[in-house]
Amino acid sequence: MNALFTLGRFGWFCADFLRATTRRPPPIARSIEEAWRIGVRSLPILFIIACFVGTNLALQGYMAFEPLGGQHLVGMFVGLAGIRELAPIIAASMVAAKAGTEMASQVAVMRIQEEVDALEVMGVNPHWYLVTPRLLGILLVLTALTLISMVAMVGSAAAVAVYQLGLNGQHFTEMVASTMTMAEIGYGVLKSLLFGTIICLVSCYCGYYSKPGPEGVGSATNSAVVCAAVTCVMLNYLVSEMVYG
Amino acid sequence: MEFLAQVGHYGLFTGRVAKRIVLGRFPFQALLRHLYTLIVRCMLPVVAVVFPFGMVIALQGLSIFSWFGAERLLASLASVAIIRELSPVLASVLVAAQGGSATAAELGAMRIKEELDATEVMGVDSISEHVAPRVLAMTLACPVLNLFGTVSGILGAFVTAVFIKDENAGVFIAQLWAFTSTGDLLASAVKTTVFGMIIGTTAAYLGFHAAGGAAGVGRAVNNTVVVSVLFFITANYFLTSALFGHIG
Repeated sequence: MNALFTLGRFGWFCADFLRATTRRPPPIARSIEEAWRIGVRSLPILFIIACFVGTNLALQGYMAFEPLGGQHLVGMFVGLAGIRELAPIIAASMVAAKAGTEMASQVAVMRIQEEVDALEVMGVNPHWYLVTPRLLGILLVLTALTLISMVAMVGSAAAVAVYQLGLNGQHFTEMVASTMTMAEIGYGVLKSLLFGTIICLVSCYCGYYSKPGPEGVGSATNSAVVCAAVTCVMLNYLVSEMVYG
Repeated sequence: MEFLAQVGHYGLFTGRVAKRIVLGRFPFQALLRHLYTLIVRCMLPVVAVVFPFGMVIALQGLSIFSWFGAERLLASLASVAIIRELSPVLASVLVAAQGGSATAAELGAMRIKEELDATEVMGVDSISEHVAPRVLAMTLACPVLNLFGTVSGILGAFVTAVFIKDENAGVFIAQLWAFTSTGDLLASAVKTTVFGMIIGTTAAYLGFHAAGGAAGVGRAVNNTVVVSVLFFITANYFLTSALFGHIG
């Protein structure tokens, strides 16, 4: 029952948000500010994590293909796995962990300090004021973050493949390049935009209905990142099945 | 400079926690209680994330192997990927997101409401009372949750391969252990124990030193997820090279 109640309230939250967004032009300046904050804050973390995921991708690809004598396929494996699945999901989960938790705790603090009620009293729609700029910001910046993590992943995988595993660098590059078509990259970016929308709505929802007190802020932040990650990974399967299945 | 000071501070804090754990100076009942809540709380998220990921691996793996007509190799490669890499990393990310952030939120709220100071005033050591059992529980819970993650990931791959893509179930099961052994399961448990230690100490450190009201608790929770994931993904590369390496 509780889960159904939450789901229904989330649906209302999204509907309210859509109505508020379509009625008034979005706050452009604040959206760009949010985009800058989300992008700049998440970038160093995302870059380091994408690099280390790339190194492990090359290591595991090598170990998986080596017994079959298919070492030269590591480049293709890195390209496909990295661009199709890992780069979008890593970018999304890091944005959820960094920017999503920040959104949840900001909105939750505003809720428990009654700033959200103050907005309503002033006649400002809180959905429009709180959620719209954050969603636009995340959508603006996530494309760039996904592309950067793709490059970091493939680059670090190439470094491991050539210097640690002793594969032929030119061959590796050719294999990666053969898988990196515009369509593959485009699907990866589209996926990450879908994830970004979910992360933003879920995080703002968790903060918006935060319980009072410091524990409330803590648990809102906590459930924001977990719900966002679980929803993204589940949707990821459905999207992959539709696109590549 | 400030960063270096933080690292040193974190090291000292970890040392104090480790001393109490090694000497057994913590309430055993609390350890069991935290272990139980951690496993119960994190179980659903871990399974709900690793299962669909196993399905995606089977989906993508089949689309790649069908170019070579090598669909029967799917199970052996999927089990390598899930046991060695995906389940440890994904399970630990979820433990950090769910358990680590809850630990930081609890300790942070106790700090903000001055409960930790009250404990100290009463002459009870707050680190051995509140921090040590939480850190140890995280270290022990992580490998257990990883095991559940591994099983659900392989089940996910099985569901996609057999029920959706109509591969042969017998071939899938027979090929499952072609490239993996119990040694891999052990190595994966070692990995996740290290990850659990990293998550536990990071969460406890950030929560224990939270400052600045409710917003401070939010910040501690936020940083816990990011910093612990960053640390253990970096550690993961070195652990993978050390445990499965013998190459290069």
